[in-house]
Amino acid sequence: MVFFPRDKMTRTSAEQVGEEIYDVVIVGGGVAGAIIAKQLSAAHKRVLVVESGMGKDVDLAGYESYVSRFYGTAMKDNQSPYPINRNSPMPRSTDARKITPGLPATDAYIVQNGPFGSDTTYTRVLGGTTMHWEAKTPRMVPDDFSMRNTFGVGENWPISYDEIEPDYREAEREMGVSADVEDQRYLGISFPDDYVYPMRKMPLSYLDQQVDQGIRGTSVQLGGQQFDLEVRSFPQARNGIPNPLYNGGKGYRPLGAVSTSQVEAGERCQGNNNCVPICPVQAKYYAGKTMAQALLGGDVKVLTQAVASRVVLDADGRVSHIEIKQYHDPILPDHTTATVRGRVFVLAANAIENPRLMLASGLAGSSGLMGRNLMDHAYLLCWGLMPQVCGTMRGTNCTGGIVALRNGSFRSQQAAFGIDIHNDGWGWSEGSPASDLLRLVDGQNKFGRSLRRELADSITRQLLLAFMIEVLPDPNNRVSVDPAYKDQLGNMRPVVTYNIPEYTMRGAAYARRFAQLVFQRLGVADYTHYDPGDYGYVTYEGAGYAIRGGNHLAGTHIMGSSPSTSVVDPDQRSWDHANLFLVGGGSMPSIGTANVTLTIAALCFRTARAIIADLA
Amino acid sequence: MQSNDSFLALSAALTGFSTLDLLGTGMAQEYQRTLDATLPPGIYRELLETWASAGGGEAATDQIMGDPKLGPVARNLIQLWYCGTWSAMPDDWRSAYGTTPLDMSRVVSPEAFQAGLQWAVAGAHAPASGQQGFAAWALPPEGSS
Repeated sequence: MVFFPRDKMTRTSAEQVGEEIYDVVIVGGGVAGAIIAKQLSAAHKRVLVVESGMGKDVDLAGYESYVSRFYGTAMKDNQSPYPINRNSPMPRSTDARKITPGLPATDAYIVQNGPFGSDTTYTRVLGGTTMHWEAKTPRMVPDDFSMRNTFGVGENWPISYDEIEPDYREAEREMGVSADVEDQRYLGISFPDDYVYPMRKMPLSYLDQQVDQGIRGTSVQLGGQQFDLEVRSFPQARNGIPNPLYNGGKGYRPLGAVSTSQVEAGERCQGNNNCVPICPVQAKYYAGKTMAQALLGGDVKVLTQAVASRVVLDADGRVSHIEIKQYHDPILPDHTTATVRGRVFVLAANAIENPRLMLASGLAGSSGLMGRNLMDHAYLLCWGLMPQVCGTMRGTNCTGGIVALRNGSFRSQQAAFGIDIHNDGWGWSEGSPASDLLRLVDGQNKFGRSLRRELADSITRQLLLAFMIEVLPDPNNRVSVDPAYKDQLGNMRPVVTYNIPEYTMRGAAYARRFAQLVFQRLGVADYTHYDPGDYGYVTYEGAGYAIRGGNHLAGTHIMGSSPSTSVVDPDQRSWDHANLFLVGGGSMPSIGTANVTLTIAALCFRTARAIIADLA
Repeated sequence: MQSNDSFLALSAALTGFSTLDLLGTGMAQEYQRTLDATLPPGIYRELLETWASAGGGEAATDQIMGDPKLGPVARNLIQLWYCGTWSAMPDDWRSAYGTTPLDMSRVVSPEAFQAGLQWAVAGAHAPASGQQGFAAWALPPEGSS
C-alpha cells in the first residue's frame, strides 16, 4: 500500500497559501502534475499543487465511495463514479450532441462549435483522468516523432524517439507497467538490450487467442508494403507478476492501494473488467499513487477545491502569480478568491484546460497557436459475432490487439491505426449486455430458458474491434474561450471547434474494410452499423461512419524548436513566459497511435529536470 | 406483499434460472419490495394471482407475457433480475393503469447491479464485482470447443 499523509491536504486555508512563495506552483493533480511534484519533492523543493477537485479519493473510504457510486448509477459512462461538481465541471460522453452548423451546443460544460460533435471526456478530480483511464501504455513509434520529415504530413517533434526513450523507461517504472519487451519490439520501437518491463505481460484473453488463431498467416498490402497480421499484447499500467530481472536483477515492488490507514488492497489485477471507469481494487495505476509519494518525502502541499482562474504576468512577461477561486461546496458557487505565488509555475490541467486558462487570462501567445491543433484519437468501432463461444466479458477491458498498421509508408496518404480487441464485447458500441437482453425480451418476446440460452449465446461470442485512428494537427481544430460562456464560478468554459481531418477519414474508411477482412478470416457475422442520426456520424466518399472520441487530448500548446511555430520548447517551457511550463498532451505535435499517457508521463520527467536546473 | 414462493416461481419461469439460483443472488426480497412499491396498488398481487390461476406453467407465463397490462410488468421483472435496473413503465401503460413516484428508470441498488444475471449467463461476472482472478480470462470458457 501507499500511505497518504492526510495533513498535507490543505482544504480551508487559501489565505494562508496566499502568504507563501513556493518554489513551484503546479495547477492540476493528475498524472503530469503528480510526476513533476514527486520529482521536485525528491529534490527538496517547496511545491504547491492546486487541485480543482474535492480531493476525496485520498483514503480508501473515499475511493470506495466512487466504486459504490459506479454500481448504483444507471448510466455507466466514464464519469459515473465521480460526483457532480458544478465548480469543477467535467465533460461527459452523455453530453454529446449532433451539432447543427452555426448553432453551437452550449448546454454541457464544453461548448461545442462542431462541425464534429465529440463525446470526449476528462476527469477533474485528484488523480485526474487516470482515475477512469484504461491504463494501456504503448510507446509511440519512432516515426511518430518525425511526421513531416518522414511522411511529408503533420509536424516534427523537436526531440526524437531515442531522446525520449530513457524517460519512457522512467514512466514505465513510475506507473508499474506490465509487458514483455519481446512483444513490444516492433515498427522500430527499441529498448536497451538488457531492459525488461517492471512486470511480466498481462496474459492474452481467450478471445484474443481465438482472434490470433484466425488471422495468423493473413497479410495485407498497403502503400506497396506487406503487413502480416497477428495479435500482440498491450503494455498496461496495472499490477501483474513482477519481473525478477527488472532493474539489473533487483526486481520490482508493485504499488498497492493508496490509503490513510493500513489496508491490503491494490495488489495483482483480478480481471474485474472495469478498468474504465474505475478499478475497484486499485490494481490499476492512477496518479494518486504518485501524488502520495510526492507528499510523503518532501515539502509538497495540495490545495483542494481550488480552481485556477487567471494567470497574471509581471512587467517582464514572467508569471507573477495565479489567481484561484476556492469553493466551499461542490454545488454552491460561494468561493474565496486568493493568490498563489511561486518562482516557477506549471500548468498540468490537460490539453483543454491548459489553453482554456491561458486564453481566459488573455494570454494567446506570440505564435498565435495557443489552443490550436487540438487532437484526439478518432475511434471507429466494428463489431460482430464469433462463430464459437469466446468467453467475452472476462478479463481487463483489453489485453491484446493488432498493431501492424501503426506505421508504414502509407502514412503519407492516410492515417495509421492500432486495433484493440475489447474483452467487454459490444459494451462500447451497443451497451451490451443490457442491450442484448432488451433486444430479446422487448423485440423478440423471449423469456425463460430460451431467453437464457440465446442471451448466453449472443454475449459470449461478441467481438468488438476498436480502431484507434491517428489525427494530424490542424490549426482550425481548437480550444477557445468566449465571455458569453462561463461556469458558475465565473470562469470561462472551453469552446471547442473540431472537424475530423480527411487524412483520418481515409484511415477510417480503410479501417472498415480491414475489419471486414478480419471478420471474413474469423467467420464473424458482421453486425456493424452506423446511424446517420449518431452525434459522431461523419460521411466520407459516400459512406457514413460513427466516430467516437478517444479522451486522448493533445496538441493545444505544441512543442517545437522555434517560438514562431510552437508554444513550448522541448522541455515544455513556454517560449513567451520563461518561468511557465505547460505540460501534458497539449505539448505533443503528433499523437500517432499510442494512448497518450505514457508519453505525457515521459515528458514530465524531462520537464522536472529542467525545473530543478532552473531552481538550482 | 405476496408470498415469496409464487414470486420466485414466476421469476424462475420468466428468467430461465432455477428458484435456487434466484435465491442465491440474495435479491429476491428487494425485488419483491421494488415491484410492490413501484407499481400502482394491486397490480403486483394481480400479476401473481393471474399466473397462479392460469396454472403457473409455461402456458401461464405465455399468457402473462401477452397480456397488455401484465406483460410489460413481467418484462420489467425480467430486466430487474438480469440487470438490476427498473425501467419506467411505457407512457401508454401508465395512462391506462396509473403510476407511482417510484416508477422511474434507475439501478435499484449497488447490490442489484452486481447480482445481475446478465453476467452469470455469460459465464462472466459483473464489472468490478465477483471477479475471477488474475489470468482467468486466458482460460477457455464454459461452452468453448
